[in-house]
Amino acid sequence: MEDMMKDQVDQLVDYIMKWCLWQFNSRAWDRKDQNEGILTKTMQILCEEPTEHDTPADRCYWVEAVLLARDFKSTYPWISTMGNNEIKLLMNGLKERIDYLTISGSLNKELTNPTY
Amino acid sequence: MPYHEFKCSECIPERKKHAVVKGEGEDLTSCLPLGYLNTIPGTISERGCAFCGAKHVIGTPMKDVIHLCHGPVGCTYDTWQTKRYISDNDNFQFKYTFATDMKEKDIVFGAEKLLKKNIIDAFKTFPEIKRMSVYQTCASALIGDDIDAIAKEVMGEMPDVDIFVCNSPGFAGPSQSGGHHLINIAWVNQKVGTFEPKITSDYVMNYVGEYNIQGDQEVMVDYFKRMGIQVLSTFTGNGSYDELRGMHKAQLNVLECARSAEYICNELRVRYGTPRMDIDGFGFKPLSESLLKVGLFFGLEKEAQAIIDEEIARWKPEFDWYARRLKGVKVCLWPGGSKLWHWAHVIHDEMGVDVVSLYTKFGHQGDMEKGIARCADGALAIDDPNELEGIEAMKELKPDIILTGVRPGEVAKKMRVQYLNAHAYHNGPYKGFEGWVRFARDIYNAVYSPIHQLSGLDISKDEIDTDNRFMTRQMISDVKIDKEEAAISDEREYTGDYDCVTKLRGKKYPKLEKGDISVG
Repeated sequence: MEDMMKDQVDQLVDYIMKWCLWQFNSRAWDRKDQNEGILTKTMQILCEEPTEHDTPADRCYWVEAVLLARDFKSTYPWISTMGNNEIKLLMNGLKERIDYLTISGSLNKELTNPTY
Repeated sequence: MPYHEFKCSECIPERKKHAVVKGEGEDLTSCLPLGYLNTIPGTISERGCAFCGAKHVIGTPMKDVIHLCHGPVGCTYDTWQTKRYISDNDNFQFKYTFATDMKEKDIVFGAEKLLKKNIIDAFKTFPEIKRMSVYQTCASALIGDDIDAIAKEVMGEMPDVDIFVCNSPGFAGPSQSGGHHLINIAWVNQKVGTFEPKITSDYVMNYVGEYNIQGDQEVMVDYFKRMGIQVLSTFTGNGSYDELRGMHKAQLNVLECARSAEYICNELRVRYGTPRMDIDGFGFKPLSESLLKVGLFFGLEKEAQAIIDEEIARWKPEFDWYARRLKGVKVCLWPGGSKLWHWAHVIHDEMGVDVVSLYTKFGHQGDMEKGIARCADGALAIDDPNELEGIEAMKELKPDIILTGVRPGEVAKKMRVQYLNAHAYHNGPYKGFEGWVRFARDIYNAVYSPIHQLSGLDISKDEIDTDNRFMTRQMISDVKIDKEEAAISDEREYTGDYDCVTKLRGKKYPKLEKGDISVG
C-alpha cells in the first residue's frame, strides 16, 4: 500500500516538475507559500470542496490549481477512483515531497538570500 | 553528486562543480551544478557583462526612447543589435545607437559636461522622442560621474522630457544577469507609479520578461487582445516608456522570462499587491495552458479556449509534418537563460527530438533546477561553459544541432554541427502556435540541409558520386519515415507568410473598444 502511494506521489511529482513553473520561485519563503497555496487548492478542487479565490494572490493560486487538477485527472485516471480521504493523503504526500525537492532538500544556494 | 569533469578543464578544478549528468533516479537534491558565480580566471566564458545585460537585453527593447550609453563608443557599438527586438514604430530603438564617446581626457577631467551636451544634442536631433535612458559603463562608473544629477539638471531645463538612469556598469555582477537585476530594480524605484495610464478594459495585465524577438511579443499580445485583455505594458519588448511607468495599474503580471524580469514582478507584488503568473509561450500544450491560466484569472476561459481551438486547428497539421521528420534528432540546448527550461521538455515531447545536453551562460541555479527537472535522463547540464568544454561536449555527444547564440554557434558550424540561433532566432517569431511551426521548420531546414550534407565531403580525397548528387531536404529526411502513414494524413509543410507579424499591427479588437474604464 505504501509502495503504491509512493509510486502515485512520484507520478504527480514528475508531472509538476515537467509542466509547471510555480514551484520554482527564487526564494524559500516564496516557494513555501506557492506550494502551500496551490497544492492546498488543488486538493480542495479534487475533493470538490469550496476554494477561496477572492484576493489577487489567492486567485493566482486557484488558477494554477484548477489547471493542475484537470491535468492530474486526465493524465492519471486512477485519481478519479479515489475517495476524498485517499486524495487528501495523496496530496499531503505530494506536498511533503515537493517541499523537500524545492525547499528543504534543495541545493540552490540562492533560496535563503534575504532580498530579491 | 554526478559531477562531470571535462578533460579540457582538468587544469581548472573549480569547473568540476559546474557540470552534472542527470542520471536515472537523480533529482534536484542530488543533481544540480553551481551557478551565477564569478567566472573562474583561466576559463574563457561566453557570458556578457552587466552593462550589456541591462542595456541591450532589458533597456533597449523599449521602443520610444533614446538609449544613450555614457562611456567609450565600443561599449554600445559592440553590443548594438545583438538581438532582433523589433518594434512597431519603425524600429527606432533598434536603428540608432547613442554614446557619449568618452575618451582618455574625459577619464582624467570628468565627463559630466560631455554627458549633458550629448543628452541635449540627442533630444534636439530627434525632437519627436521625449524619453531617454542613460546607461552607466565601467569607465563612467570608475571616475564617479553623477549621471542622476545631470539627468535631473536636463529635466529641469527641458520640462517636456523624462530621463531614466541605469547605473549598471559592466563589472556590476558575474554576468549580464547582474544587469538584468539592477535595471529591474532601478525602473521600479525610479519610474513605476509616475504616470497614470489610460485604462480601456475591465481586464488589465502587464506582459513581463518578453522582448519581442522577431515579433514574439506582438504574436502573444494579439492573443491577449483577442480575449479582451488590455496589455497595459510590456517589459520591455516593443514596450513604451510611459506605459511602463504605469505598470502599477495592472491587475496581473504575466511573466515569461523569469530569469531576466522576475525581480520587477516580485517588487510589484510586494509594493502594489499585483500577483505574478509565470507562463510558457512555446509549444502547443504549454502555450494552451498559459492562455487558459490568464483566461481563468480574468474569467475569460471560453475566450481563451476559442483562440486555442482555432489556432491549433490551423497550425497543428503543419507542425506535425515537421515533428514526424524530427523524431530522434539529437539536440544540445545551449541558450543563455530561460529557454533552457522553456524548451527542455517540450521540444522532446512535441517534436520528438532528444535533448542530450543543456547549458546556461548566465542562468542561476534556479534556472538549472527548472531545466534539469524538465529534461530527460542522461542529459549533460553545464553552467557557464567555456569554448573548449563546448567543443569537447560536441565531440562526445555528437548532436545533430545546437540551439544557441551566435558565438558558440559559429564554433559549432566549424565542427560541422548545425546551429540555430536561440537568442535572436533565424526565421522567427517562435512564440505562438504559428511560431512553434516556424521553429520546427527552422530545425528541420538546418538538420536536413543538403549543403550541410555536402560540406562533409572532402573533394581532395573522397570519392564523389557525380550521377546522384541532386538532393533536397525531403529526400534526406524522408528516408526514415513511414511514407504510407505520412501520405494518408493531412500533414503539410508551413504555409504561413514570410512576415507573419506586420499584419497584426493596426488590427481591430472588438472586445477592447469599450473606451475608458476606471479600475482600482
